[in-house]
Amino acid sequence: MQPVSASPQEASLAARPLILVVEDELLIRMMLCDGLRDEGYQVIEACDADEALTVLAAAAPDLIISDVRMPGSMDGMGLLAVVRETLPTLPVIITSAHREATLAVADGATQFLAKPYLVVSVIEAIEAELARGL
Amino acid sequence: MSASRASETVSSSILIVDGDIVSRHVIADYLRHCAYGVVEAANTDEALIALGEATLSIDVILCDVSALGSRSGFELATWVRTNRPELEVRLAGGVKMAAKTAAELCESGPHLARPYEPEAVIDYIKRLRASRTR
Repeated sequence: MQPVSASPQEASLAARPLILVVEDELLIRMMLCDGLRDEGYQVIEACDADEALTVLAAAAPDLIISDVRMPGSMDGMGLLAVVRETLPTLPVIITSAHREATLAVADGATQFLAKPYLVVSVIEAIEAELARGL
Repeated sequence: MSASRASETVSSSILIVDGDIVSRHVIADYLRHCAYGVVEAANTDEALIALGEATLSIDVILCDVSALGSRSGFELATWVRTNRPELEVRLAGGVKMAAKTAAELCESGPHLARPYEPEAVIDYIKRLRASRTR
């Protein structure tokens, strides 16, 4: 997690974009996070919105990717609403197997990706979002 | 996925089970520095999903005793020792024990060395938690 550095290794990681992945399905989360790590991103894995809020209180991700339908005190749209209030410029990519694209974008998601997705599609979306912020 | 891909490039994979995303993430990254493949489970139910996934080759489980889920951390350890006796289970009763165990695993892992001292991991987690409460 940024911005605190624990070691030289941590410091070297600090230059890489930090992606917060919020996904309750373990195998999907692993597949996506490992694909992102292979691309050189730092990744934090959160299993629900509550964990994501814990991360956001302690770290400063460059981008969030969140599923919509998750257990916990709020779903991905609830998380999106909190992020839009507190971090209005932070890119948020919403993913869902359900047809929630219009709602997600109206509520402030910067992109919507329908499930099932290819990891390469997610990487392209991240690259586009991060390039937009440069 | 990490462990399946990791099995092609590293000799061992570790399943870390911890409901605290801060310590789970930091210790998982520490183990990745040691070239372990790492699977992150937020609770014992996710751990059982990972253990049931044929494509993952997990060798060691590092489990927080207070991990939540339909089984406690202790119950998960008992289940593994009964049903998957080939797996090594390390129970940790807190972040200090988890960091110390991770350092020990690094010394017997692919790099045969700890990337940095476990005290740095503990300090890092403490700083992240402190920044969270500010």
